[in-house]
Amino acid sequence: MSKLKLNGVSKAYGATLALRRGDLEIAAGEVHVLMGSNGSGKSTLCKIIAGSVRPDRGEILIDGHPVTISGPQSAREQGIGIFYQELSLAANRSVEENICLAMLPTKAGIFVDRAALKARAARYIALFSGVSGDGFAATTLVGNLRADQRQLVEIMKALASEAPILIFDEPTSALDRAQVDRFFDILRGLKRDGRGIIFISHRMDEITAIGDRVTIIRDGETIQTLNLSETDPAAVIRLMVGGAGDMPASQSSAPAAARFSAGAAMTVDGLSGAGFRNVSFEVAKGEILGLGGLHGQGQSALLRAIFGAGSITSGEIRIGGDRFDAKSPRDAIRRGCAYVSGDRGRDGVIAGRPIIENVTPIHYLRDRLMVARPSSLKAKAMPALEAMHTKFASLMYPINSLSGGNQQKVIIARWLIDRPDVLLLDDPTKGIDLSAKADLFALIRQLAGEGLGILLYSSEDAELLGNANRILVFNGGSVTRELTGEDRTRYNLYQAAYEAA
Amino acid sequence: MTPTTIETRPIRPGGLKLWLERYPFLPALIIVVALLALNGAFSPNSLSYRSLTGLLSTYMALIMLAIAQTYVVSAGDIDLSAGATLSLVNVVIVVLMEKWGGGASAVIGAMLAGILLGLACGVINGIVVAALRLQAIVATFATSIFFTGLALYVMPVAGTPAPALFWRSYGGRLLGLPFVFYVLAVLALLLFVLSRTRLVTQLLAVGDDQQAAYQTGLPVVLVRIKGYALCGLFSALAAFCLTGDTASGDPLVGSKMTLYSVAAVVLGGSALAGGWTTVVGSLLGALTIGLVNSLVFFMGTPSEWQNFVQGLAILLVLMAGVLAGRRARA
Repeated sequence: MSKLKLNGVSKAYGATLALRRGDLEIAAGEVHVLMGSNGSGKSTLCKIIAGSVRPDRGEILIDGHPVTISGPQSAREQGIGIFYQELSLAANRSVEENICLAMLPTKAGIFVDRAALKARAARYIALFSGVSGDGFAATTLVGNLRADQRQLVEIMKALASEAPILIFDEPTSALDRAQVDRFFDILRGLKRDGRGIIFISHRMDEITAIGDRVTIIRDGETIQTLNLSETDPAAVIRLMVGGAGDMPASQSSAPAAARFSAGAAMTVDGLSGAGFRNVSFEVAKGEILGLGGLHGQGQSALLRAIFGAGSITSGEIRIGGDRFDAKSPRDAIRRGCAYVSGDRGRDGVIAGRPIIENVTPIHYLRDRLMVARPSSLKAKAMPALEAMHTKFASLMYPINSLSGGNQQKVIIARWLIDRPDVLLLDDPTKGIDLSAKADLFALIRQLAGEGLGILLYSSEDAELLGNANRILVFNGGSVTRELTGEDRTRYNLYQAAYEAA
Repeated sequence: MTPTTIETRPIRPGGLKLWLERYPFLPALIIVVALLALNGAFSPNSLSYRSLTGLLSTYMALIMLAIAQTYVVSAGDIDLSAGATLSLVNVVIVVLMEKWGGGASAVIGAMLAGILLGLACGVINGIVVAALRLQAIVATFATSIFFTGLALYVMPVAGTPAPALFWRSYGGRLLGLPFVFYVLAVLALLLFVLSRTRLVTQLLAVGDDQQAAYQTGLPVVLVRIKGYALCGLFSALAAFCLTGDTASGDPLVGSKMTLYSVAAVVLGGSALAGGWTTVVGSLLGALTIGLVNSLVFFMGTPSEWQNFVQGLAILLVLMAGVLAGRRARA
């Protein structure tokens, strides 16, 4: 009998279906791997099991009995423990308090039993002794720990639940080799105890090392469950990609070797900083260079660092032959560098202000405008907005009155009044509709045709394959592969992204 | 997916930082000592046993109120009705003591009623903020008006005297020591006991990161309501001290104390965002406000300038404390 079974579970956030149809069956004593590309619904599925997200439909069975999981507390009572990808730690509490936080041992029902808490936490801390690194002690505040050490605390906290069903949602992303090995030893022990374990990772070598079965999720739907011993990584990746995986990039793709104008728009040489290491490339004038790979492998960090919003520790950037080392975004903008983020709310929209104010800030900065004359600004703003086919009633309406796609068009339009030399696109189509995406990419190609150098990072592989002339695949902060010409296939992109870092 | 970050931050906190992590009220303590020294410099008499006892009994109400505020701030909440709760409990116990004859049993009965009333006010706040999910600042501002309204209904005009037994006990001596010292000792014991409870750890975890606490499986709503209940309890205790000090009922007495209590929490070294608080610091923060006020008085500031100088002094103390803390914790 299966330990945990999910039948047709679904979850929608407004109009977006995060999970269309999730089916999953976990047996006692197995490590069951969940695989799927970014945004395929893995994390949503895990959160439904852990009770922090309520499903709209479907049923959950534990040991064959249908159960209702009303919240994280009820999930714990039903014997489910989880490692959260984004961690669930209290930064100002100590390591031992965090490990035991869910079930604080008590005296007389109201007092914390410090001795019992110490003893219980020590058991789990001891599991990682020798690999937990400097400065890791039971009484250290979690906020003082390094990223990998915090991840270890979250693992210990999940283990401390002693739950028969354990979920690990990317538990190894910050861990080093020795820590991963130790963790896998612990997992093997749990398997022998007959626990059911769900494991998510993006490193193929880890998956084959620890997994028994794998369930593949694509576009919010469970595709298939396979025994890992009877399959090979290539087959798994093919299932994740879907039928069209082996086809070269679609016919709408940009030419592999366009007639680029002479000279490089931007040269990056051995650049390292927070989140990326030793990155070198050249973008020709008129070229769209794609940055691919799994989410959070250093692509955004690199783009932000070039734009002066992140830190650079070594290396060199050149734009049009001159050394370019922007100290701040303000500096970068003055020197002809543009940056569009997919996170409009944080990086783009001036919320609550009229559209015209949202189109013109870059113009103010580049032209050092002191006094704004609405009529002349309007004359400059209109062509930029029209180039994007932006739909709006009046320039004076607040930007919040527009849809997400139209808001993003306004944000891009602000860079079109004074043309930059280099355009950095950081997942620019996040959360916008299909027609807006089409408009956006038509414009991006047109800009490339006019001689801009464009760096495009997208979490949707189809966008990279359809628009980029070349693709650099990022893994663990550095470029692990370059795809050009006929190599630009979905399969190659996935394979490079899932290789061990 | 966690981006691979290369961290350069030192892992092991240095000496001063470690001290501050263990005793976050240290800057507040230094400031209190400095203010005592300044007071002494301007008027040696202000450091006498008698005047210090007086200072303590006058500011004990604010100390209690600051501690009340600390518990809700721990969970990342705030209570702008703490002062109104104090006023309400103040007028209710004065009226009850008078009605019940002013004897020992009347005093004890009224105090029990006052504690229940304070708890009730706290629970109402907790339900409004945590269960109904209204913004803490606005919701407790609204309940403060509501509580003030009740207080005005109970006692429309200030001035009803408290029975002599009550204020004579508070201002008097027991076994040769001022009564307020016993209050302080009981308070210290209470704070020590509370610091060991599961509730306080849970409050701090909720204040640290509410989403994380929820995902951990903590009963976040219940924990926050309990935090407000604790705040209501201490507001009632503050009302007892105030009644003992002023010997009368006043339906508006607490309104201006609310923001002083918030200021005392911050002066004491707590983070207003929650997750990092110190009740000892809040006690010292309340004393800081008291000492600033007495310093302004002893310096012989002309009465029309007193508010100006008070505000300036509190601002300076806040800057000193915050800057020192920031440098050490950075």
